[in-house]
Amino acid sequence: MSRSTFFGFDIATRGLYTAQRGLTNVNHNIDNINTPGYSRQKITQTASRPLLMADGTGMLGTGSDVTGVYRTRDLYLDAKYRSEAQYLGEWDIKDRLLEQMQVMYNEPSDSGFNAVLNGFYDTLQQLATDPSSLSVRAAVKEKAIMVAKYFNSVAAHFEYLQNDVNNIIYAKVQDINSLADQIAKLNKQIYNYEITGNTANDLRDQRDYLVDKLSRLINIQAYEVVSGKLPDGRDDVRFCVTISGKAIVDHTQVSYLTCVQREEKLNFEDINYLYDIKWADGNTLTIKSGELKGYLDIRDGNDELNGSPNFRGIPFYQRRMNEFVRVFAMTFNEGIIDIDGDGVLDNVNGHVDGYRLNSTGDETEPAGIRFFTMLDEYGNPMDSAAFAAGAGVDPTDPDYYERMYSQLTARTFSISKEILDDPSNNICTTDTPGQVGNIENLRSILSMRHNTYMFMEGGPEDYIKTIISTMGVDAQQAKTHLDNQVIMTNQIDMRRQSVSGVSIDEEMANLVRYQHAYNAAAKMIQTYSEILDILVNGLGL
Amino acid sequence: MRITNNMLINNMLNNLNNNLNRMNKYQNQLATGKKISLPSDDPIVASRALKLRTDVAEIQQYKRNVDDATSWMEITEKTLGQIGDVMHRVRELAVQSGNETNTPDDLDKIRQEMEQLRIQMIHLANTTYAGRYIFSGYKTDKPLLDENGAFLMDISNSEQIHFEIGIGDDININVTGSDLFNNGTDAAAGEMSGLLDTLNNIIAALEAGDNGAVGNMLDRIDNDMNNILRVRSGVGARMNRLELTANRLEDDFINFTTLMSKNEDVDIAEAIMNLMNEENVYRASLSAGARVIQPSLVDFLK
Repeated sequence: MSRSTFFGFDIATRGLYTAQRGLTNVNHNIDNINTPGYSRQKITQTASRPLLMADGTGMLGTGSDVTGVYRTRDLYLDAKYRSEAQYLGEWDIKDRLLEQMQVMYNEPSDSGFNAVLNGFYDTLQQLATDPSSLSVRAAVKEKAIMVAKYFNSVAAHFEYLQNDVNNIIYAKVQDINSLADQIAKLNKQIYNYEITGNTANDLRDQRDYLVDKLSRLINIQAYEVVSGKLPDGRDDVRFCVTISGKAIVDHTQVSYLTCVQREEKLNFEDINYLYDIKWADGNTLTIKSGELKGYLDIRDGNDELNGSPNFRGIPFYQRRMNEFVRVFAMTFNEGIIDIDGDGVLDNVNGHVDGYRLNSTGDETEPAGIRFFTMLDEYGNPMDSAAFAAGAGVDPTDPDYYERMYSQLTARTFSISKEILDDPSNNICTTDTPGQVGNIENLRSILSMRHNTYMFMEGGPEDYIKTIISTMGVDAQQAKTHLDNQVIMTNQIDMRRQSVSGVSIDEEMANLVRYQHAYNAAAKMIQTYSEILDILVNGLGL
Repeated sequence: MRITNNMLINNMLNNLNNNLNRMNKYQNQLATGKKISLPSDDPIVASRALKLRTDVAEIQQYKRNVDDATSWMEITEKTLGQIGDVMHRVRELAVQSGNETNTPDDLDKIRQEMEQLRIQMIHLANTTYAGRYIFSGYKTDKPLLDENGAFLMDISNSEQIHFEIGIGDDININVTGSDLFNNGTDAAAGEMSGLLDTLNNIIAALEAGDNGAVGNMLDRIDNDMNNILRVRSGVGARMNRLELTANRLEDDFINFTTLMSKNEDVDIAEAIMNLMNEENVYRASLSAGARVIQPSLVDFLK
C-alpha cells in the first residue's frame, strides 16, 4: 500500500497550524484580560477527516483541524445580571440624592433648623422678660430673619437640585438613545458576519457590554428572536431590546426616546418646564426601574399626590416645608390654631392682635401687623396689607385666611416689611395699647410653640423632626436596598467572571501546551526531513 | 468554581473598599465625637437628638428667665424691706409725737423727718429695675407716683407681669402699685395713694400741732404696715418657688445634657478600639491581597 511521500509533512503542517491558532487564541485572551465585557474565547479542535484505506486497514489519521472559536458565556447569568442591575441603578441614584437632600437640612447639628428655631424662640422669651428693650427687639428681628432665610435657603437648594436632576434626566435619555444606536449598529455587523456561519465573538461581547450598561439606566429586556430561516437552513436570528414591552432596538431599527418640556406642572411645588420622557413616535413610556426611575422618583415623587410617583422626593419635601411655613405663619400672625385639638380652628391672640410699643392708650384698634409675610416678585418683604390683599377675597370670606396663606411658600417666606423697617415699635407684645410692660400678646404667641395641635405631627419642632426622620428612614432604606443590590450584582458578576473571565494561569498552561505541540509538530517535520534526506541523498546510486 | 485573576482583584478591591468605608465611619465618629453624621445613619437617634436639643435649649432659656425673674423679685423684695423700714420709723415717730411732753420745736423736728420719709417713700414707689419701674404694672416706662403721692396712671391689680419658667408654667414677678400703695384697691390716674395719704395726713396733723390727730393715725399706719407685710410674704413665697424651679431646671439641664450625650455622643474608647481593629483588618487584607495578586504561572515559566 503506498501513499504520498510528503503526506507526513501535511499532517505536521496541520499540527503547526492548529498550535499556532491555539497560541493566537491565548494571545488574544491575555491581551483582553482587562477589556470590560470580554469573555474568554476557546478554540474547538478536532481530528481532521481521516483517509479511508482501500486495503481494509482502517482509517488513516490526517492530523488536526480548528473548527471554530467560541466565547465562553452563560446567557442565563447575563439575563440575571440585567434584571438586577436595573434595581442597582435605581437605588444607587436614590441613595446618592437622598444623602444630598439630608445634607441640605443640616440636621442633627448646631446650625440646622432646630438651632435656628430655638434661637428665635429664645429671643422671644428674652423679649417677654424685657419687652421694652430695643436691643432685644432688634435681636428678635435678626433671629426671625434667620428662620425665614433657613427655609428660603433649603427650598432654594431643593429647587437647584430639582433643576440638576432634570438636566441629568435629559443627559441620561441621550445616553440611552446613544446606547441603542450603538447596539443597532453592532446588530447589523454581527448579522452580516454571522450570515456566513461564523460567530462574531468580540462584537457579541461588545453588544452584551452595551446592553449591561443600558440595563442600569432603564428597565430593559434583551433577547434574540428567530424571524424565519436563512437560505442555508439555519435560523435567521435577530436581536431585540425592549422597554416595558416596546422595542427600543429591533434588529437594526432604533426607536428613540425624547424629552418634552411640560406645559403644566405635575406638582404645585415643581419648577417650570420639567422634562417628560416619551417615545419619539409619541407613545407614552412606562419606566419601571433603572437610574432613570431613580432620578424621576426623586424629581417628581410627591407621595402619589396628583399622580406623582409613589416616593418621597423633592416635591414632597417642598410641600411639607410650604405647609410648615403656612401653618407657622398663620398661627404666629393671626393666632388661628386648633388650640384644644377638637379639629376646629380657634382664633386666639396672634401678632395682628397686638399693639405697637409706642401705642397710646386711646388707640382702639390693634396694630394689625403680620410678623411673617412673603417676598414679593422683586424679593422684597411685603407689608401686612399687601400680603392680606393677596387673598383676593374679603375678610368675611370663610376661606380668607386659607387663601391668604396659600400664597406663601418656603422659598418666599419672610418677615414683614413693618418688622424689617421698625422692629422697635412694630413687634407687638402688648394686648392693650400704651402698656410697654404688658406681654400678654407675646405670651399668647409663645404658648403656641407647645401646642401639640398646631400640626398633625405636633408642635413646630415635632413637624420638622417628622420631616427629617422620614427622610432619614427613606435614605436608610435606599442604602439597604443599594447594599443588597450591590451584593446581588457582585455575586452574579462573580459567577460571570468565573465562567467568562480570563485566567492567566490557564492561559499560560495553554501557552505551554500549544508551544509544546508546536515544537513537537516542528520536530515531526524535522524527522520527515531526515527520513527524506536518507531516502534522497543516502540511498544514492 | 473556576477562579480568574480579575475575580481575585475585584474581590480584593471590593473588600478593601468595604474596609475603608468602615474605617471612614469610625474616623468620622472620632473626629466629630458624634455617633451619626446624617439622619439616615440612625433615624431614631437623629430624631431623638432633635427633640433633646430643643429641650436643652428651652431649659437654658427658662433658666435665664428664672434668673431674670429672681433679679426682679430681689429688687422688689429689697424695696419692700426698705418700705417696711420707712413705715416702722413712721410709726415710731407717730408714737413719739403723741407724747404730751413734746414741745412745738420737737414736733417740728418730727415733722421734718416725717417729710423726708414721705419723699423716701415716693422715691421707693418709683424704684426701677434695668430702667423699668417695678411697681407701675404694665406701664413700666412711667413712674408710679408724683411728688404728692398721687398715682400718675390708672393702675390695676390685674397688671401682672408673667415670666415663663417652664412649659405651661409661669410666675407673676411684679407687685402692682395699687396692691402695695393703695391697700390692694385699683386706682385711677390722679387718685391719691392710700399709703401716701396716711403720711400726708400725719404731716398735716404735725404741722397743725395736733398730737391727738397723729395718735389717731396709728390704726391706719398699722393697717398699711399689715398690707406691706402681706405683699412681702407673697413675694417671699414666689421667690421660694423660683428657687425650687431654678433647682429643678438645673437638674433637668444636667439630665437632658446627659441624655443628649448618651444619645448622640460616641463612646471614644469603643470608637478607637473599632478603628484600630479596622486598621488591622485593612493591613491584613492589603498584605493578603498583595500575596494573592502577584504570582501567576508567568512567574514560574523560564
